[in-house]
Amino acid sequence: MNKAWHWGWIAPPVLLVALVAGASIGETAIPAQTVLSVLANKLFGTAIPVDRIDAGIIWNYRLSRALIAACCGAGLALSGVVLQALLRNALADPYLLGISAGASTGAVAVTVAGLGGGLVSLSAGAFVGACAAFVLVVALAQAAGGGTGARAAGVIILAGIAGSQLFNALTAFVIAKSANAEQARGIMFWLLGNLSGVRWPDAWLAVPAAVLALTVCVLHIRALDAFTFGSDSAASLGIAVRRCQAVLIGVTALVTAVMVSLVGSIGFVGLVIPHAMRFLVGVRHGRLIPASALAGAVFLIASDIISRIVIPGQVLPIGVITALIGAPAFALILVRGRSGR
Amino acid sequence: MKIAAEGVGWQVGGTTIVDGVTFDVSPGEMFGLVGPNGSGKSTLLKMLAGIRPPSAGRIALADAPLETLSRRRIAQTVAFVEQFADTVDRITVRDAVELGRTPWLSALAPWSARDEAAVSDALASVDMTRFAARSWHTLSGGERQRVHIARALAQHPAILVLDEPTNHLDIHHQLSILTLIRRLRVTTIVALHDLNQAMNCDRVGIMDQGRLVAVGTPHEVLTADRIEATFAIRTTICIDPSDGTRLLRFHNAT
Ligand SMILES: Nc1ncnc2c1ncn2[C@@H]1O[C@H](COP(=O)(O)OP(=O)(O)OP(=O)(O)O)[C@@H](O)[C@H]1O
Ligand SMILES: [Mg+2]
Repeated sequence: MNKAWHWGWIAPPVLLVALVAGASIGETAIPAQTVLSVLANKLFGTAIPVDRIDAGIIWNYRLSRALIAACCGAGLALSGVVLQALLRNALADPYLLGISAGASTGAVAVTVAGLGGGLVSLSAGAFVGACAAFVLVVALAQAAGGGTGARAAGVIILAGIAGSQLFNALTAFVIAKSANAEQARGIMFWLLGNLSGVRWPDAWLAVPAAVLALTVCVLHIRALDAFTFGSDSAASLGIAVRRCQAVLIGVTALVTAVMVSLVGSIGFVGLVIPHAMRFLVGVRHGRLIPASALAGAVFLIASDIISRIVIPGQVLPIGVITALIGAPAFALILVRGRSGR
Repeated sequence: MKIAAEGVGWQVGGTTIVDGVTFDVSPGEMFGLVGPNGSGKSTLLKMLAGIRPPSAGRIALADAPLETLSRRRIAQTVAFVEQFADTVDRITVRDAVELGRTPWLSALAPWSARDEAAVSDALASVDMTRFAARSWHTLSGGERQRVHIARALAQHPAILVLDEPTNHLDIHHQLSILTLIRRLRVTTIVALHDLNQAMNCDRVGIMDQGRLVAVGTPHEVLTADRIEATFAIRTTICIDPSDGTRLLRFHNAT
């Protein structure tokens, strides 16, 4: 055990390669060398000559986009790991607690219903909606009670389903009542995940959020392991179960809300990357946490690249790609994992 | 280490599950807890292990009230083996036993050779060393039980709280686990269904409908009358001619 530090060596180069690929592949391919030159110029103040237009595309569009994709992938995958471990439920995903439903309600409240009178951005609306939904779900779970055991996990999941349904219905209501076809299509695109609009300022939210998720998860590696046999067993191993659940679920919910408000609810990553990594590196969180963060980041960068190049002249919603690649890949891992162990 | 309960009770939704339980267990003593299904043994043990706060009364570890100790501090002292604990995670036997080291690890005290040794020793003492690399879900019920016990032993507790530890074990492993626990000389509280196994404890407590109705040495407590009152069966006490040990033989109450 305790091989976590290995990841400190593996992750940065892999991530760098993925980011460079994300910046160089696109409708106009730009050589990786140019990408590295732009990076050097921007980060280390070198003065390697590069084409101004290329430099602009790389720095202003593709790099920020790839970086945000990486942060979202890592954040969502970590949220999935945490929720699956704490709720002892293989189907738990970051949107389980109503976050994406709430975000969509917030988004349509701003864009369609015109809440905030044009002063509030879609992202801000989505963030507020996500937080409101999460708070409601937690309050509902608390009111339904159930302590910390298996029943409590069931109560949280049910509260999440109820909250999600409520907010999805609100979203549908707003769209049905006042959206025109154009707006409805835009919202649908946004709900499936959309990285087109992201720029550097968004990265200053996404990067700290992903770092926060990773830090909190790494600090709780042993606690997450201790939940293997349920929360009573975790308590008997010295874990302050309630505090630990509150911190981990609170932080991952916050991180998920940030990601969803930036790029919409990209599905699949938070559910499937953790499972895929369990098959590949095992269930101990010392390996699972770094592996999931890295795999989530790389997977979303790759999905974004594919979403930009698969249909020339058109960008597909990234959520479509994550599901299209993810589902068969996951099926393959499942089938191979069965015979492997 | 000594553990003491004073007027401990637990209620849920207006029903009293455990009621005014008072007893203490001295250092190194093996205390058996017997009683019919639903009499509150598991609930009491969870409170003693600090997992469930009592709704009445207090519990003290070596005179320190349980509620003043951190969860981690309690776990460094008390190890608990639940009646049922399962997982769908694909962990190995060794992984499961390594969890027992959790209360001793921190950023300043990372995994070390000492922890490695504690895990290997614990596996060896329940005769599970050759299963170390096996996947949890391939184990039989009794093997799982032995892994849980190994996990508790790896915790290096001063007090061991065991909820029906011999439940799924074959007769050989029942005896070897109980002998092992006796030999460890840690304070042990163990819920048992086999009254003949309870005869080997230093003292026995009988739970009946949430109350501790009798406490004392096995000979004082496990009498034919007492057993009939609690379990509604008749008992004949026999003497093993080879060593003079007392054995209980049970008949349906007529
Ligand atoms: N959370 C709960 N809500 C309601 N009733 C409960 C709860 N927990 C335990 N009980 C009830 O309390 C009683 C005591 O349960 P407990 O598990 O302590 O019994 P036990 O003595 O360990 O029984 P067994 O020998 O079957 O293991 C049972 O009747 C059980 O149904
Ligand atoms: Mg029980």
